Amino acid sequence: MTQRLFTPLAFVALAIFLVALPFTAENEYSLRLFMLFTIYAIVALGLNVLVGLAGLISLGQAGLFALGAYTGAILAVRLGWDFIFAAMAGTVVAGAFGALLAYPTVRVRGVYLAVITIAFGLIVENVIIEWDHLTGGTTGISSIPKPALFGWPLDGFRYYAVLAALLFLVVVVTHNIKQSRYGRAMLAVSQSETAARGVGLNATGVRTLAFVIAASTAGLGGVLYAYLNLYISPDSFTFNDSIRFLLMVVLGGAGTTVGALIGALILTYLPEYLQQLQYWQQFAYGLLLALVMFVLPHGIFGTLSHLAARFFKRGSTLSQVADGEIEKVMKDAKAGWAPAAFSAEGLTIRFGGLTALNKASMQVAPGEIHALIGPNGAGKSTMVNIITGFYRPNEGTVTLDGTNFAGSPPHTVTRSGVARTFQNTELFGDLTVLENVMVGYQKRLSYGLFAAAFRTGRFHKEEAECRHAAEALLTFVGLTDFANEQARFLPFGMQRRLEIARALATAPRLLLLDEPAAGLTTQEIDELDRMIRRTAALGISVLLIEHHVDLIMSVADRVTVLDYGVVIASDKPGIIQNDPRVIEAYFGVAPAVKVAEGA
Amino acid sequence: MADQMQSIIQYVLSGLAIGGCYALVALGFHIMWSTAKAVNFAHGDTLMLGAVLTIMALDQGVPLPLAILGAIVASCVFGVLLERFAVRPFAKTTSSIGWMLTTIAIGIMLQALVTMEFGGFSRALPSPGVEKAISVMGAGVYPQELLIPVFALLAMLGLGWMQRHTLIGRAMQAVSFDRNAASLMGINVNWMFGFSFGLAAALGGAAGILIAPITQASASMGLTLGLKGFAVAIIGGITSAPGVVIAGLGFGIVEKFVEGYISTAAREIVGFGLTILVLLVFPQGLFGKREVFKV
Amino acid sequence: MAAPAQAEQQPCIGNSGPLTGPAAFGGAAVKYGAEVAIDEINEAGGVLGKKLRLIQYDDAGAPPRGVDNVRRIALSDKCIAIFGGYHSTVGLAQVGPVNEIGIPWIGTTGAGTKITENGGSPNYMFRVSAKDKWVAQFLANEALKVSKAGKVAIMYENTGWGNGALPDFKAAMEAKGKTVAAIETFNWNDQDMSAQAIRIRDSGADTVVTFALDREGNQIVRSFDKIGYKPTIIGAWGIAGNLGDLAGPLANGVRVMQTFTWMGEMNPRTKAVWEKIQKKFKLKDPSELKMGSATANSYDAVYILAKAIEKAGSYDWKKVHDALYTVKYDGLVAKYDPAFDASNPERQDAILPQYYKLTVWSDGKLLPIEQTVYGKAGN
Repeated sequence: MTQRLFTPLAFVALAIFLVALPFTAENEYSLRLFMLFTIYAIVALGLNVLVGLAGLISLGQAGLFALGAYTGAILAVRLGWDFIFAAMAGTVVAGAFGALLAYPTVRVRGVYLAVITIAFGLIVENVIIEWDHLTGGTTGISSIPKPALFGWPLDGFRYYAVLAALLFLVVVVTHNIKQSRYGRAMLAVSQSETAARGVGLNATGVRTLAFVIAASTAGLGGVLYAYLNLYISPDSFTFNDSIRFLLMVVLGGAGTTVGALIGALILTYLPEYLQQLQYWQQFAYGLLLALVMFVLPHGIFGTLSHLAARFFKRGSTLSQVADGEIEKVMKDAKAGWAPAAFSAEGLTIRFGGLTALNKASMQVAPGEIHALIGPNGAGKSTMVNIITGFYRPNEGTVTLDGTNFAGSPPHTVTRSGVARTFQNTELFGDLTVLENVMVGYQKRLSYGLFAAAFRTGRFHKEEAECRHAAEALLTFVGLTDFANEQARFLPFGMQRRLEIARALATAPRLLLLDEPAAGLTTQEIDELDRMIRRTAALGISVLLIEHHVDLIMSVADRVTVLDYGVVIASDKPGIIQNDPRVIEAYFGVAPAVKVAEGA
Repeated sequence: MADQMQSIIQYVLSGLAIGGCYALVALGFHIMWSTAKAVNFAHGDTLMLGAVLTIMALDQGVPLPLAILGAIVASCVFGVLLERFAVRPFAKTTSSIGWMLTTIAIGIMLQALVTMEFGGFSRALPSPGVEKAISVMGAGVYPQELLIPVFALLAMLGLGWMQRHTLIGRAMQAVSFDRNAASLMGINVNWMFGFSFGLAAALGGAAGILIAPITQASASMGLTLGLKGFAVAIIGGITSAPGVVIAGLGFGIVEKFVEGYISTAAREIVGFGLTILVLLVFPQGLFGKREVFKV
Repeated sequence: MAAPAQAEQQPCIGNSGPLTGPAAFGGAAVKYGAEVAIDEINEAGGVLGKKLRLIQYDDAGAPPRGVDNVRRIALSDKCIAIFGGYHSTVGLAQVGPVNEIGIPWIGTTGAGTKITENGGSPNYMFRVSAKDKWVAQFLANEALKVSKAGKVAIMYENTGWGNGALPDFKAAMEAKGKTVAAIETFNWNDQDMSAQAIRIRDSGADTVVTFALDREGNQIVRSFDKIGYKPTIIGAWGIAGNLGDLAGPLANGVRVMQTFTWMGEMNPRTKAVWEKIQKKFKLKDPSELKMGSATANSYDAVYILAKAIEKAGSYDWKKVHDALYTVKYDGLVAKYDPAFDASNPERQDAILPQYYKLTVWSDGKLLPIEQTVYGKAGN
């Protein structure tokens, strides 16, 4: 309960702080510094979403800041636009460029992406210098008209009030988005893109949203900055400024709202204190950055939160959910869920000169448990990757109830009703167990960005459903007691179970398990056996890739055998076990004697 | 027509000179990245260190060969220490933001210290290579300027030879292919990281000494060179030594032509625009290896 | 928020200048001149019984920081006046806030025309330094004197300073009935200007006027040398720092406009001031005064300001502003009679062009031209 109150209380505290601040201003210069702080904070909050949630590094925020500032200034000075419209225009223009910047993330990551953002920032700076007819070039744009709200002049305290109000708005919106399915999606995509795709998230879309948020706040900050100084020139928008924005986020604590505010506060006031040191200014700046990296890698607030979390460990307060509820969750009645027949026909895929699959076909009846086996390198994982959309086949179809989705991207496949687990567990390590499953449920949520930003009734309703569903699934796999643990701290066997819960959260009609028994103890395999049966009993088809013969014999209704990319047999387990072709595939020789169990 | 010819030759020669600078910087990035999958974002400052320390030594009356040697060794030590204390602690995490920011931070601190000691001025590093220009069909170039791309090519060839024919070179390659396997083979991976950063820094220091007679030494000389050198490394394919050298020389020549036929500000726009375009079409660089991720 | 116009300000002079970065010598230059003048005045009893002091803030040549420093100096430190610094771009950015707040600003170095001729009324931007409009005229005159072919080209840096000076120079040439033979620009940190050099050479120009700093000036002379082109070079004072060190013998004969020089033969008064500077800052030789014009300008600026405060009778911005127009003073650089003239917008500048001097690089030293071979007729 106290957890729930914390956020609104924090907002109230922030509001009080912002209102009280100007009364401590000794002179106009101090007030100016407060205003500068609010502007930087706005930029930092947006960048925080990009860096802290989506895990993408941008060293080009100064370019977006500049785009906002120049758009606003040019519209105000050349076309006489009003403050409000100039501000909106600046925000939109910068946001559009943010969407553009997101495009490279399809192809590149990490350092390469950072280089693209650096290049972008430098290009903007140089275009501003070069296009002097529009931007005034190196001389800049001066005599920007003072901001006014429909004729009411906004100077001194009034402008501060506007800035403070905007800051508050941005804080609320970014924080709420962070705690919604959008924020979770960003975290998921950054922690395991593969798994995120596997549960139906559109990674590119998520990243684009993050970039647009970061860019829009930077653009808004830029316009506000232009109206604060009434003069802008390319010197305010250099690579060093991009570094400074990034430092604000990192210093405060990437991913935390409070962190962004702290970082902005410190870096607004630091130059004031460093002014005294004159020659040591730059040095102290670098030293501070280095200290943050070494001593406080999670930033100031981030480190404090971690310490608090260690001291105030919260056990799980969840209770078990009834079976009837679980069934309702797994069968998404609202969406018209019904068991489906799965069929893969003539799948062929070539990698260079190697034909990994050659006209492979198989069928899984509704509610059937089907095992796919074969020696290593037979093409089992390839088949799974094709079915789930990670690979595109050269020929063939993959259908569920007749609809072919071969070649569709993973997130589309999931929406068609297929979910999977991975051979190497791909969990969202830093999210809690409960949150991992909630991410799986997300494709069934429909509230939009506005609802998330302003916590409408729909948001609360759907989030409650999501939580409830996740609790139900945790009960199903027996992880209720670990709901608040971070996923990466789970023991191996439980990680496997979590993956299954997460996959089931998407309400699939076909569940693909990629070697789920690998590395499990005998007892855990028995539990797995039960879980698979219960799943199938509800009408969800299960396709199981396995080596573990005992499990297959126990649980599978039918078995398909792959060898060198070709289906060599597909029948009941007992028959497959004695099929000479299968034995030859595994052992290389035709048997003289019936093979004993437990190969 | 002869004028056109002269301009073109001038741009090519000047382009090779500046391109050689970029190639040398990029080569340093290649050495670091291929071994440690991390770079010194302040690598440009190793050039500055080489040049500035040489001049400061000369001021103290140290003879030139000794000054040069001392500066290169100091750069090398800087690289090794940087790797040990600023990069290695962060190389384990998957996100690269850690070592990126620490190396940037160290770069800022180093520049500030040097500014205090050396002054904000640019100072000349005298060299016979810039005393008289040679004329090639009317275009002029200093012998020192041509020395730079030659040195870049030699460095690239030397690196290749080292990788094929020396134990330490092969160890570097092993670490770059698979550091865990290399470790199991008895290679001290941490030493190799240190070695690669030290080698890159020494190369940077030497490059700085070569370049200083032309561009003058100053505390801020490394910034733009470092940034562009990194862009060049990415364009060429940071995993390929010949790739980055070719990309560097090409980039320099393109810059000069843009400068000549359009304008100097356009040069930056075109240069960085090209960087983005190349990365979009060739995410691993023009000559780099594609990294395949198995699902 | 209007400034408290009637309040007494503090007896401090705030200077925003480059204390770090490549132009750090510019900040030092102002300190040398201003502090020695302040010492002299304080020893004589101060101004209106109070002792003056100089506060320097680093702007590293960045206009946004210069703008912040204006507010800091005026609103936080409440100094009686601001001294401008080395960079014209910073000065240009400071026009807005200075006139809005209404604090006297006296430039010591940056010569951008629009800094003082900014259309403000009242205009709080004053300057005891050169003005690029007059510098351009001076350079044009000198160039045409020296040019045999009558063809003069210009190489200017792509910054607020260079871009601002270009129209001044074009107008100056047109006033003499000439067009500029070639107009070329370059960026900071450019290492090679061969493209521009080729175009200038092909235009037939035998004299080149520059608005550049030492670092780029060095590359300019080397680029000319590389293509075998040997024009006479006459530059604005950006190349008054260490061009001689950087370019070596190639700098010989490069002329530089200054308002003052400490080199060569000094008159007794200059010598006296130099000795005080030498003692206070432990310098050895006048050649260590890089940008010596700024030092002399600052020295004179302090005295002019002090006299204005005395005449105003109080440390009040508006009164001091009005009093500045009545100050007469016999300075190091010039005879100010009066220093400023309110009826003439061109006369927010105290140093008239007749006081501009031509110095020339000769074996690593920047000497008054008449004391070198270049000053003799025919060179």
